[in-house]
Amino acid sequence: MLILNAVINGLLFGGVLALMAFGMNLMFGVVQIVHLAYGQFIMVGLYLVYLLTVLYHVPLLLSCALATIAIALLSVLCYYSVVKPLLKAPPINQLLALAGLWIVLENACLAFFGATYKGVQVVLPVLHVGEVYIAASNLIGFGVGLITLGLLYLFLNKTYTGVAIRAVAQDAEVSGIMGINSRTIYLITFVVGGALAGITAACFVPVYAVHPHFGSAFTLLAFIIVILGGMGNLIGGFIGAFIIGVVTSVSSTLLNPEIGQIIALLICLLIIILRPQGLLGVRART
Amino acid sequence: MLRVEGLCSGYGGFEVLQNISLEMGAGETVAVLGPNGAGKSTLLKVISGLLKPASGKIYFEGRRIDGKPSHEIVEMGISLVPEGGRLFPELTVYNNLLVGAYNKRTRRHFKESLEEVFSLFPIIKERQNQIAGLMSGGERQMVAIARALMSRPRLLMLDEPSSGLAPKIVASIFEFVKKIKERGYSVLMVEQTVKKAVGLADHVYLLESGRMVFSGDQTSFLNNPKIKSSYLGI
Repeated sequence: MLILNAVINGLLFGGVLALMAFGMNLMFGVVQIVHLAYGQFIMVGLYLVYLLTVLYHVPLLLSCALATIAIALLSVLCYYSVVKPLLKAPPINQLLALAGLWIVLENACLAFFGATYKGVQVVLPVLHVGEVYIAASNLIGFGVGLITLGLLYLFLNKTYTGVAIRAVAQDAEVSGIMGINSRTIYLITFVVGGALAGITAACFVPVYAVHPHFGSAFTLLAFIIVILGGMGNLIGGFIGAFIIGVVTSVSSTLLNPEIGQIIALLICLLIIILRPQGLLGVRART
Repeated sequence: MLRVEGLCSGYGGFEVLQNISLEMGAGETVAVLGPNGAGKSTLLKVISGLLKPASGKIYFEGRRIDGKPSHEIVEMGISLVPEGGRLFPELTVYNNLLVGAYNKRTRRHFKESLEEVFSLFPIIKERQNQIAGLMSGGERQMVAIARALMSRPRLLMLDEPSSGLAPKIVASIFEFVKKIKERGYSVLMVEQTVKKAVGLADHVYLLESGRMVFSGDQTSFLNNPKIKSSYLGI
């Protein structure tokens, strides 16, 4: 029963992880960069919610919405200041620049908010369904995650801009001769990716207290999920998120949370060794 | 309609095109022929804005277009079918056509363009929900031509439409090109399959190692003794 509990809560948490990984995956698939500071965007989002709710007494839902918008704007700033100048640079330069942004964001939060844990006290009930205990926070995260991903699916399949984003991800050069300005698409992708980091932060509010090193674990987790599913493969990332959600939840319950992280990393290593293209990925054409 | 003057271009210091000039009128079909590596594809890449010229000028309908980004050049009415079609493999045929009509000038005419393309290639209408990457080479080439037409071009450029296709399929692709030509489009075609391409062309250019070595109409091309021996095998 303990394991069933962990599996169900892991699946529910997988919904938020899917949302988080989707943002990183989208930016990799479309702009071809690994967004190393992605978890730090989530961290800044959590700090913003804390700032607005606790220090300025803004209602929680409103401050979540404001934080999401602010992170989307931060993402735009990141695109113009860090990513755009390096679009044609070698991948290692892009990686280092984003790692730099990671350090900047961490230390800015350390300077501004201090090293202690900050959190919003949200007390959510734990629901009993038969003998299974479900944390309402997980349920909310799952619901928000699935609804957002559903809307994204419609956006990417049914709107002109969405289809253009997928076209650029598949062949940027040919997209150009179809009349698509890839720079505009990159910008839109960063807005969407930033908003996803913001929504992820909102879902994390009832679960986690934030501290300046909060982000790195989630950058890593998002990266593991993206690798698991296949870099740039959105459906693969979706499945990968639920696998990681369940694996970490079960191993945290049976052993402890640190072991959960280690197992997630081991899975990542195994995938890189045995199936580098990911679960659903296709090997890059050479 | 299209005028290329003294065009030079290449990749990273290596000059592929040397002093190329070319001219075509509205409604004409022009074939640029030549062996592998002569610079034919490079020429189309420069005209469509995928590659910047080192020097020279390109005019389209009186406006200078060289050096403009490719998404602006489509807007002006030039559309390129890249070699091998290069469809978006994970999109459906319908969404490939949708992306083809992306530019502002043509987006609001999407429905009309779609009807026109369906009337040209009825089979695409049946296949519109198929994933493009799962189609055969000939079908992909056909959809690629259709996708290029969705941008309502006045000049359609085809980069080796027959490359990599079985002879029977090649014949049907040239039938499509003929249909398109009959609808009044100006067509600039680059080819290695000499005989079929010449049969459709009003004017023929021959490229060899980055230089234009021949320019003339169908008859003078077919009767040129040097070309006869090296390209037509007679």
